[in-house]
Amino acid sequence: MANLTTDGKLCIEREIDVQVIDNDETEITSRYLIADTCNWINSNKYTKVCLQFPDELLGISSKVYEELKKGTEADLYILGDTSYASCCADVVASMHVQSNAIVHYGHTCFSKTNIPVYIVLNQKSLDIDITMKILRENLTDFNLQKLCLLYDCEFNHLKDELTEKWFQQYPNSYIASISFKESINRFFGRIVKNVSSEEYSSEILKDCVCIYVGSRGQTFFNFTVSVEAEKWYLLDPASNQLDVIQETIWFKRRRFLIEKCKDANVVGILVCKLAGDQTKQIISRMKQLCKANGKKCYVVSVGKPNVAKLANFPEIDIYVMIACPENDLYDSRDFYQALVYPYELEVALNTNRDFYFTSHITNYEELLPGNKHYKDINDICDSTDVSLITGKIRETKVTAASSSTDLVEKQNWQLENIGQSLSKRSWKGLEQKLGESNVKQVEEGRKGIPLQYLNEPE
Amino acid sequence: MVNFTVDEIRGMMDKKRNIRNMSVIAHVDHGKSTLTDSLVSKAGIIAGARAGETRFTDTRKDEQDRCITIKSTAISMYFELEEKDLVFITNPDQREKSEKGFLINLIDSPGHVDFSSEVTAALRVTDGALVVVDCVSGVCVQTETVLRQAIAERIKPILFMNKMDRALLELQLEAEELYQTFQRIVENVNVIIATYNDDGGPMGEVRVDPSKGSVGFGSGLHGWAFTLKQFSEMYADKFKIDLVKLMNRLWGENFFNAKTKKWAKQKDGDNKRSFCMYVLDPIYKVFSAIMNFRKEEIDSLLTKIGVTLKHEDSDKDGKALLKVVMRSWLPAGEALLQMIAIHLPSPVVAQKYRMEMLYEGPHDDEAALGVKNCDPEAPLMMYVSKMVPTSDKGRFYAFGRVFSGKVATGQKARIMGPNYQPGKKEDLYEKTIQRTILMMGRYVEAIEDVPCGNICGLVGVDQFLVKTGTITTFKNAHNMKVMKFSVSPVVRVAVEPKNPADLPKLVEGLKRLAKSDPMVQCINEESGEHIVAGAGELHLEICLKDLEEDHACIPIKKSDPVVSYRETVGEESNQMCLSKSPNKHNRLFMRACPMPDGLPEDIDDGKVNPRDDFKTRARYLTEKYEYDLTEARKIWCFGPEGTGPNLLVDCTKGVQYLNEIKDSVVAGFQWAAKEGVMAEENLRGVRFNIYDVTLHTDAIHRGGGQIIPTTRRCLYACLLTAAPRLMEPVYLCEIQCPEIAVGGIYGVLNRRRGHVFEESQVAGTPMFVVKAYLPVNESFGFTADLRSNTGGQAFPQCVFDHWQILPGDPSEPGSKPYAVVQETRKRKGLKEGLPDLAQYLDKL
Repeated sequence: MANLTTDGKLCIEREIDVQVIDNDETEITSRYLIADTCNWINSNKYTKVCLQFPDELLGISSKVYEELKKGTEADLYILGDTSYASCCADVVASMHVQSNAIVHYGHTCFSKTNIPVYIVLNQKSLDIDITMKILRENLTDFNLQKLCLLYDCEFNHLKDELTEKWFQQYPNSYIASISFKESINRFFGRIVKNVSSEEYSSEILKDCVCIYVGSRGQTFFNFTVSVEAEKWYLLDPASNQLDVIQETIWFKRRRFLIEKCKDANVVGILVCKLAGDQTKQIISRMKQLCKANGKKCYVVSVGKPNVAKLANFPEIDIYVMIACPENDLYDSRDFYQALVYPYELEVALNTNRDFYFTSHITNYEELLPGNKHYKDINDICDSTDVSLITGKIRETKVTAASSSTDLVEKQNWQLENIGQSLSKRSWKGLEQKLGESNVKQVEEGRKGIPLQYLNEPE
Repeated sequence: MVNFTVDEIRGMMDKKRNIRNMSVIAHVDHGKSTLTDSLVSKAGIIAGARAGETRFTDTRKDEQDRCITIKSTAISMYFELEEKDLVFITNPDQREKSEKGFLINLIDSPGHVDFSSEVTAALRVTDGALVVVDCVSGVCVQTETVLRQAIAERIKPILFMNKMDRALLELQLEAEELYQTFQRIVENVNVIIATYNDDGGPMGEVRVDPSKGSVGFGSGLHGWAFTLKQFSEMYADKFKIDLVKLMNRLWGENFFNAKTKKWAKQKDGDNKRSFCMYVLDPIYKVFSAIMNFRKEEIDSLLTKIGVTLKHEDSDKDGKALLKVVMRSWLPAGEALLQMIAIHLPSPVVAQKYRMEMLYEGPHDDEAALGVKNCDPEAPLMMYVSKMVPTSDKGRFYAFGRVFSGKVATGQKARIMGPNYQPGKKEDLYEKTIQRTILMMGRYVEAIEDVPCGNICGLVGVDQFLVKTGTITTFKNAHNMKVMKFSVSPVVRVAVEPKNPADLPKLVEGLKRLAKSDPMVQCINEESGEHIVAGAGELHLEICLKDLEEDHACIPIKKSDPVVSYRETVGEESNQMCLSKSPNKHNRLFMRACPMPDGLPEDIDDGKVNPRDDFKTRARYLTEKYEYDLTEARKIWCFGPEGTGPNLLVDCTKGVQYLNEIKDSVVAGFQWAAKEGVMAEENLRGVRFNIYDVTLHTDAIHRGGGQIIPTTRRCLYACLLTAAPRLMEPVYLCEIQCPEIAVGGIYGVLNRRRGHVFEESQVAGTPMFVVKAYLPVNESFGFTADLRSNTGGQAFPQCVFDHWQILPGDPSEPGSKPYAVVQETRKRKGLKEGLPDLAQYLDKL
């Protein structure tokens, strides 16, 4: 058998990089809001509920399950190993058991779903007094400036204390607190409020100096690129440092990719998210954009994308990835073809959008009809211009392509005629090489399985 | 003041044997544009008196201000030859019977080495070249460069010795000295011609010879010129000698004894060199009489040479008078036009031997024959050599030469860019030509159609071409060959708008700039930076000025100039590099090694190229570079872009399914060759050998996804184990200066890592020429530095020459290459630090 299959040991012994969170079991009830969760399930009369855990929390999932079971009758299922990103509710997995709702644990991206989701955030301690002191020391000159405080979800449990002390120190400023309710002013799960709890839209931040309390990760990154503010400060409680963050280099790189979208002839629409109607809508929107610009497009769904899977389609020039904005694949340089945000394809192909933008839209939902950043697609005529990437003429050909009704000449029945791009490949199929290779005696080939042939040293 | 009309010109265009297409080429400041003015004044566009002051062909304001030509400019002129001169044209293809008029299409080109791409573009559309040499400074580096290019394009040269006024007035050369100077220049030019032209070749003998009349002498500034023909005409009757014989006598080792009236081949006590006696003496006399204000002598001389002064000129004296006298006696336009009409080939003659150099397709198809026979009834073949900005912002005239057929307003034609391949659709557009125009310096004139052998501009095709292209009506036509430039865009600046919101305007501007100049490159880099790359600092300065003022029309921030680097390797990989595919089921074994010296250049020059027959190529590589014959036959590809100076060689033996993964390996190679492992710069001079490949037996497990990224990783491992190095571009720098300044030059060069490899005196002058290699990176501000260290006496000309390894190990912190790598990585937004071999190399 050893010759035929992989040694099973490998799977067991493979080390996985997961942060183990040390959890005091006694704390579970309070930390994971067991009572509130039961209350939510019971009052909504859900009978089947999925509990979705990110990898690092899987260790305590059974404990949470047991605690919950004490307070509710509903059938509970644990979901792990989420298909795409554990920050999004895994609606598809929950549909397998036809559940009514999901309880989502850990870090979340607040994406819309078409199934009720109860969010249980991580809790992390924060010394609010020290935080306020750092702000006071560093932001003395900003008395005249409007300030706005944002904080990581992990500190949401300290929301009240934080709000109070913040407004004590800066009564004229704002705080963007986490809100689980849908609202037109909500962005990334947050709503801007002033001292008297009046809500504002995120527009107001344009003139504000924003301070984000939390670690430097994808969440904060999304704020800096997509929410326009006077300045972005990051206060990392781990180091108690206050830094100004600017992403100009990132914007330059994205503009290059937008140019690349214009150059592309074949666009791959990479689906990395399943939840919600918005996914379908954005896919058809992307298709529509490609069609209007005379570009071919293919919908590609390969599960969690990686370098090897995507390089299997070398004919695709660029991928537009439909995924949660908290995804860090967009910036990876390892892919054979670049990955772009839906917004970037929009900027490249929709003439109603300005090529120059100061804030990015990482969340594609906002591009859809009815939302703030929706723009019609104009009819585009055939045109040519120079590509600064290849230095060649690039052509936008909307009309011709498929409209020809001429008969195609029969060409020797060769299979290679099925695709133009295939004709560029040098390998056209099995080669017989009749009479070209020497006749040889049968000899022994290699043995074993591809992972490790027997003739290869251990 | 125009003394010819567009209709007259159109009439002439059909008389293809009476057309001369020519460029004026020379070293910078040797007086091309000024000399061109004499011709234009003869053809009547500007008043004769102002010739030499206007620089008609310098159409841009900055050209007029700086007194330097930047863009090449075309003008068409009409000129009639007298009956007595027509007999000098013996070839029946050089003139139509009973037609005295000639149409001369002249292109004045820049002399500064930074703009030599303009010269290349001019040469392509012309058949002859007027090589202008300043007789005071002699044959210079750029003279040689452009002359070499001309010969390579099969352009026939004629020579003009300019600035004789300086030789006489400033240097006060004796007649014999001056003759020796002329003689030397003629020799130098002929040596260059002989080096690059084969006398037995299709162009035949192209050397210049004063006694045949293909060398002119004179002063463009003063507007006078002559060939030996002019002087022979003056003496022929008197001596009762045949004109042609006399011309032979007036040059070379021919001496005349005035007492004995005998000719001799040697100098002795009493005789005198005929050239000095009959040609230079009269000129010297006129000069000395006028400059010394000897009134009576002047009057008697004027009668002798048959010049009568006009009333308004009669009270002039000194230089002003000299100009008037010389100009009336030996009008430059007349002499030059005769030289052009008699010695330069008509399109009919030239296209016969130029076709094979111009056309990529088979030499016997309709297009080839049309070009060869210069047949106006054949299908249209036109080469667009450059784009000329119009007054309409963002639009261009496509400027070029009709080689076959006719191009007409409203004609439907195929517009083929340089990437067009017959039978494919890429870079091919079928469009209507909106308008055909005639270009004359500052003016354009619409014209109905233009037959072959002529130069013209087109409206409405600019949007389908970037810089150059072929226009044809023949469906199976191949491209005309792309031009080969002698300079490379090695100096780069990053540009960005001062106001970030102007970015879209900048991008539009860059696209226009890319079209307007044959050489400039406008690149949007992976990092998102916008780069403008040019041949040198001056070229970039002009491009950026154009970008700011004409193309983008916004204020621009520019970085300091930088050079682009190349990544290479210093030795062979110290181990066999293995990389496994993500599924661990496929393994690639490769090594990298440096190419032998000269091979990357051979690939750049196209001597070794991917389109060669693999057997011929292998033989060449084996003979010249001692490559193993079997391996040399199995070159999988060149890269980056399928043509670059890096090779991927299959050195495996009997690997199953190998051909099936070739496409994927090649794709991975192109990727790695474009973005090297150290700083994502292009690779150069690296050969990768594939030694072994283990593949999964199921095709599905060895697809592109498994192989492409793995190839890249494996190649990166090969590079990292083969002593990676950086290469920088190096200029060949030629500096002219008097002897005392030489010391200062050495000092400046030493400080800038340059080294001198040749130092010589220009024979017959007090000038020295120093040749040195200077890294481009050290050349910024070099000219100014040099001038301040030599009291403004040294003048450098720098042209890209080769790539050289930047000394030091880029993986050693503290070294220069390390700093360059880190800086580049930072600029590109890559992770700082060094690439980690473990990331790319796998273990079995």
